[in-house]
Amino acid sequence: MIANVLDGIVFGIQLGLWAAGLTLVYGLGGVLNLAHGQIAVISAVALAFGMDAGLPVLPAAGLALLVGGVVGLFLDLTILRPVYRLQGEARVLLSLLLTLGVAFIVDGFLNWRYPGRSLSLFIGGGAIEILGVPMRRGSLLASAITLVAFAALFSFFRFTALGRAVRSVIEDEEGARLVGIDPARMLRLILVLSGVLAALVAVTRSMVVSVDVQAGFGITVLALIVTVVGGLGSVSGALLAGIILGIVNVIAADVIGTFMSLVILLLAAAVTILMRPSGLLGVEE
Amino acid sequence: MSERGTAGAAWTRAARSVRTLSIPVVAVGAVLAVVPLWLDHSGVLMGVAVLGLAFACYAIGFNVIFGSTGQLFLCVGALAGIGGYGGAILADTVGLPVVVSILLATLVSCVTGGLLSLIAVRRSLGVIFTGIITLIFTLTFDALLLGLGSLTGGENGFLIESGADSFIRRRIPPYYVMLVLALVFLVVHGLLRRSHVGWAWRALRDDELAAELAGVDVARYRIYGALVGAAMLGLAGATYAFTEGRISPTTFGFAQVDVVVIVMLAFGGIGTLFGPILGAVTFTIVDEVLIEFGQLRLVVYGALVLLLFLFLARGVIPTARDVVTKRRVSQASAAPD
Repeated sequence: MIANVLDGIVFGIQLGLWAAGLTLVYGLGGVLNLAHGQIAVISAVALAFGMDAGLPVLPAAGLALLVGGVVGLFLDLTILRPVYRLQGEARVLLSLLLTLGVAFIVDGFLNWRYPGRSLSLFIGGGAIEILGVPMRRGSLLASAITLVAFAALFSFFRFTALGRAVRSVIEDEEGARLVGIDPARMLRLILVLSGVLAALVAVTRSMVVSVDVQAGFGITVLALIVTVVGGLGSVSGALLAGIILGIVNVIAADVIGTFMSLVILLLAAAVTILMRPSGLLGVEE
Repeated sequence: MSERGTAGAAWTRAARSVRTLSIPVVAVGAVLAVVPLWLDHSGVLMGVAVLGLAFACYAIGFNVIFGSTGQLFLCVGALAGIGGYGGAILADTVGLPVVVSILLATLVSCVTGGLLSLIAVRRSLGVIFTGIITLIFTLTFDALLLGLGSLTGGENGFLIESGADSFIRRRIPPYYVMLVLALVFLVVHGLLRRSHVGWAWRALRDDELAAELAGVDVARYRIYGALVGAAMLGLAGATYAFTEGRISPTTFGFAQVDVVVIVMLAFGGIGTLFGPILGAVTFTIVDEVLIEFGQLRLVVYGALVLLLFLFLARGVIPTARDVVTKRRVSQASAAPD
C-alpha cells in the first residue's frame, strides 16, 4: 500500500507539472493551448539532438527549456494574436482550434522527419529505499526536479513583484490594468513560462519512461483533465489534483487492473468536476 | 383566434417550412446522388464517399447539439460508437435482426446523450466544462472498448457477420443509404429550427439569461437538442458500422472523428443548416487530395486548419451571407440616387 501511494505521488507530481503550464495560460489569458504536449515533444527532440551532438545532459536540458520557451513566445507572437482580439467563449474556441492546427503540424512534421524517434534519459545507479520501498533513481530525481520547479513557481508568484502582477491579472484583468499592469505583457511572459514548463515535462518524463514523438496529444489530454480538476488558473490546484489522481490511478491499477485504472481515474476526475465545478482550489466565478 | 384557426395557421406554417426547406435539400441531394456515377469503378473511392457521408451525418448531429444549443459535446465518436458497437453486439452476439439492433443502439446513444446533457444542465456547466466532461466520457468509452476485448474485439476490432450477404455490403447501396440518412437529418434539423424548439434554441444561443427571463425553459430545450443530436449520431454510427462490416476503436476514435467533425463544422459554419454538408464534402475531398502528400498529409492538414480559422473564423456560409447582405445593403442605399 505504501508502495502504491509513493508510486502514485511520483506519477501525480508529474501530472501536476503537465497541467501547470496549461492552467496558467488558461487562467490568465482564456487561451486553451492544445499544442501544450507538442511543445514538450519538440523540447524532447531538441534535448535528444543536443545530446547526440555531444552536449552533456545539463546544457542539453537547458537547451530544451530554451526551445520550449521560444516556442511559447512564438505562439504568443503569431497565431494567438487574432485570439487575443476576441473575448469570452469565442476566444477559448478559436484558441483551441488554432492550437489544434499547430498540434497537427508539429505531429505530422515530427512523424515524417523523425519517425519512431524517442528520448529517454537514463539515470544509472541502483534503487533507493524510501520508507522501506525501493524506488528508481530516475523517478526520484524527476520528482525532486519537479518539486523544485513548483517551489520556484510558488515563490515567483508570492514573493516577486512580477509574479504578483501576473496574479493580479488572473484575479481581475480590468483592475490590474487600472494600476498600470499591462495584461498583454504578462500573458506573453506566461506563454514563455508555460513553454519552459512543457519542456521540463519532457526532461523529467524521459527520466521515467521514453518520450516518443507521438506523445503530444496524450500529454495534452491528461494535462487538460488535471487542470480542470485542480481549478482553472490555480498552480497549487494542479499539483494537488495531479497527486490525488496519480494515487487513484496507481491504486486502481493494482486493485482492479491496468485498463480499468484509466477508467477509475477518469471517473474520479468527472466526479470532482461535478461536485466542484470550479475545481479543487479554483476561484468561484 | 379559434381552435381551428390556429391549427390551420400551424399547418400552413409547417407546409411553408417544408416547401422552403425542400428546395435546397433536394438540390443538395441531387448533386450528391450523381457522385457514384463517376466513382463506381473504384471500391476504394466509393468507401471514401460513404465515409464522407457518415461524417456529414455526424457533423449534422454535432451541429444540432453544439451549433443550435451551445453544448460542446466532445463525444461525437463515442456516441456514434455506442451506435456502431451497440448495433454490432446486438445483432451478432445477441442475435437480434439488423434493423432492430440499429434502432435499439440508436436509442441507447440517444439516452446517453440526454443524460450527459442533463448532467451539464443540472450542474450549469459552461462550454469548456461540458467539453471536458464529455471528453472524459470519450476517453472512458475508448478505455472500455479496449478493456472489454472479449465483447468488442479490443484493438483488432469487431467483424460484423449480420447482414454480410445483404445489399448493404455491396458497393453502391451503402452510399444511398447514408445519403438518405444525411438528407433526413437535414430536414429534421431544418424543421426543428423553424418550430418553437428552434425559436427557443436561438433565444438561448443569443443570450441564455435573457431567454430564461423571457420564460424559455433553457434546460429542457438544451436536453432536447442533445437527445436529437445523439440519436442522429447513434443512428449514423450504427448504419455506417453495418455498411463497413468491420469496426475498431479508431472507427470512432476521438482524433479520427471528433476532431475532424469540429473542423468540418467550423469550416461550413457552426449553427448553419447546410454548414455540416459543405464542410464534410470539402474535407472529404481535401483529405483525398492530400494523400499525394504522403506522410506530410497531417502537416498540410494542420496548415489548412490554421489558415482557415485565421481568415475564416466564422465559417464559409456565415461569411458568404455577410458579403451578400453587405452588397444588397450598398445597392439599396445606392438605388435612390
